[in-house]
Amino acid sequence: MSETTIPIPSGAVASERGTYLETIHSWIVTVDHKKLGIMYIVYALLFLVIAGVEALLMRIQLSAPNLHFLSPQTFNRMFTMHGTTMVFLVGMMILFGFGNYLIPLMIGARDMAFPRLNAFSFWLSAFAGMLLYFSFIGGSGLPGTGTAPDVGWFAYAPLTERAFSPGHTIDYWTVAILANGIGSIGTSINILATVFCMRCKGMTLMRLPLLAWIYATMSFLTLVAISPLTAAQAMLMMDRYLGAHFFDTQAGGSAILWAHFFWIFGHPEVYVLVLPAFGFANEIIPVFSRKAIFGYPAMVAASVGIAFISLSVWAHHMFTIGMTSYGNAFFTLSTMLVSVPTGIKIFNWLATLWGGRIRFQTPMLFAIGFLFQFLIAGLTGIMLSISAWDWQLHNTYFVVAHFHYVLVGAIIFMIFSALYYWYPKMTGRMLDERMGKWHFWLMVIGFHMTFDLMHIPGLLGMPRWIYTYGADRGWGTLNMLVSIGGGIQGIAILLFVINMVWSYFKGPHAGPDPWDAWTLEWSTASPPPVYNFAREPVVESRRPLWDLKHPEDPDSAFD
Amino acid sequence: MTEIPHSDPGAGATPGVVHLPAPTAFPFLMALGLVLVFASLVMSPWIGVLGGVLAVVSIAGWFRNVLPREAHEDVPVAIEIMHYVPMHEKVSRIEVSERHRAQLPLETLPISSGIYGGIAGGIAMVIPAEIYGILRFHSVWYIVNLLGGAGVGDWINPTVAEMSQFRLSAFVTANIIQGATTLLVGVLYGALLPVWPKRPILLGGIIAPVLWTGLLHSVLGLVNPFLQNRIDWPSFALSQVVFGLVAGYVVTRLGKLKRLAQLPLAVRLGVETPGLMHEHGEHQSGHESGQKGDGKE
Repeated sequence: MSETTIPIPSGAVASERGTYLETIHSWIVTVDHKKLGIMYIVYALLFLVIAGVEALLMRIQLSAPNLHFLSPQTFNRMFTMHGTTMVFLVGMMILFGFGNYLIPLMIGARDMAFPRLNAFSFWLSAFAGMLLYFSFIGGSGLPGTGTAPDVGWFAYAPLTERAFSPGHTIDYWTVAILANGIGSIGTSINILATVFCMRCKGMTLMRLPLLAWIYATMSFLTLVAISPLTAAQAMLMMDRYLGAHFFDTQAGGSAILWAHFFWIFGHPEVYVLVLPAFGFANEIIPVFSRKAIFGYPAMVAASVGIAFISLSVWAHHMFTIGMTSYGNAFFTLSTMLVSVPTGIKIFNWLATLWGGRIRFQTPMLFAIGFLFQFLIAGLTGIMLSISAWDWQLHNTYFVVAHFHYVLVGAIIFMIFSALYYWYPKMTGRMLDERMGKWHFWLMVIGFHMTFDLMHIPGLLGMPRWIYTYGADRGWGTLNMLVSIGGGIQGIAILLFVINMVWSYFKGPHAGPDPWDAWTLEWSTASPPPVYNFAREPVVESRRPLWDLKHPEDPDSAFD
Repeated sequence: MTEIPHSDPGAGATPGVVHLPAPTAFPFLMALGLVLVFASLVMSPWIGVLGGVLAVVSIAGWFRNVLPREAHEDVPVAIEIMHYVPMHEKVSRIEVSERHRAQLPLETLPISSGIYGGIAGGIAMVIPAEIYGILRFHSVWYIVNLLGGAGVGDWINPTVAEMSQFRLSAFVTANIIQGATTLLVGVLYGALLPVWPKRPILLGGIIAPVLWTGLLHSVLGLVNPFLQNRIDWPSFALSQVVFGLVAGYVVTRLGKLKRLAQLPLAVRLGVETPGLMHEHGEHQSGHESGQKGDGKE
């Protein structure tokens, strides 16, 4: 059997441990991209559990007609905090965490371009999340309603004006999102500078791992999208405290202005979240198919295309707000146009799988689940892009089912796939495969039970955000099944948490390259030493480790 | 022994040591300070004062950390020898004959031929449609309004008499729809016709338009029943077939180009890059001497 011997940096130096206090101190003062990446991920996973509990509380409330498990006020707070948490404190944080951890390793760099800015961005986002949740203790709204924000994650005006939301609940939401946004901007600048300025020798843009390409695209999109949100938050604060009337409809302001500002951020934000999921698929599917990715340049072009098109589709969230027919037609067509680059991606992933020697290990299982579910999410997305269709189903559970198909079926599934794939690199231990498969199948069953069936009450007219419903509406059985599906997903995630903790201490040692992969992060120890690479690598193709393992047939001969 | 290629360490670097940015608490303190300033808007002003002090101290500390020189720590490098054993020993290769390889499209149609085909087909398909409009409703505008009226929001269920009159907004919309659609379908024909097996004109010119007409006939009633009732389906199908035949004919008549996908981007763009072209020439000989596997194990 051919064997390749490589001198790699030892992880032993990095794994020397001090006292607990020293360990905590080292994590607080660290500027190492790997530690910051892990902190991002752990922080996001904690909030994933919190947001999951909030979702389960809502599902219990809706599982049968006329239940009073939660009060209406608490229900409002739950859906507001669930949405805000999942988007800003789970999705953004965990994806930035992976970017932080992986990009320097994948491009052969020792760290991010601006290590201190990196630490600052993480801590700012982290403290912003804590401030948001402090509202449960410190916030106060209408007498008797108080505590956390309760206006939805989109916080439509004029509900957020002081006349309708007195007290500080909205202020907590606003300042937390503002601070979180500054952290996101810092990280995006850092990722862009790292990808374009820190690549090792030989790593041209056409040899860049697709994940790094996608993170650069996503960072550009973040910079463009966060700015209008930040501006809108500042305007809202002026409305509330400085007597401005941007969104005050009773004083000449416009509630529609807020909707535009919010969705100019909100829809690109969906792509900010889903693009890294595509990036994970681009790395994981080829490795587990034992084939190079199909259509690398088309994948790059499609990613960049998605970013640009996604900036012109925001008002499809506002078809029912009363735009002109030309506006409706434009946003219908532009939304449909997104399906072209995303279709290219799906075909390329299928072409990568085609004829490959597929290994159905847990990361690949989640990736295949993602492929099917993202396709269905895209199809319901095209249905909703047709303004006439959207008029019928806007603000129903059909829409909720559609976007959860994207956020859970695509993004969360690929995040799980990525965690199974890179956990051995981050910790040096393999996650348990049997528990992983249980996790996958429970997630699949729970996910489809929840979100497939959730389309039906939407088609039957069940609106979003309702606290309860009458028994005569005929939604009871479906909602019960949806809630049971949510519980199954909760069990699956609990199993995953147990797997992570157990494997950290008891899992088998991973070695530097447990998946027989091809990108640079697998050419160093697991976990990597603080300096990543003893010497700066030089690459000659898109798959440097393939070249190393197959000197008789290197990609570099054909690149 | 095979060693991963590395660049030389930077000049002046201490052997066995890597310089890394020194850990610092100032980013943490500054983030905390800023969030406390934000929090003071909803809490006590004193929290804002505390946050402000923290932020100012952190800014000063951060500056001292990077100016005049960035603070570093030296980390000793420990090397260990690792053995990489590929899980699958051999690389499997595509076993194909020269004949099979030759079936890959070595030539393709240029995008411009699709555009020309789309324009020609788009003009040609108007003829049967207009003949129908003139014979049935004695108006050249009926067909235009039927197509463009779908995009005019304030025009609800017009009568035949209204649809037989000129209407600017419908005229503009109809031209946009017809122009964009025929161009896109023409480009699609340019891309697909070379790879469709046997009788591309039959497939692209007759079978595909008829199938498309059937699909539209079956679903249009759900989307827009008014439009469904107003369309004369035989003449609609005839228009589609005329488009397919004319576009397909023009596309195939305009000739093929050699595919350049395997060449570097700069060469494809026609940029003068002597060094790259030279390297490519060297690689080209490698291509000719051995056949590349698909990278699959």
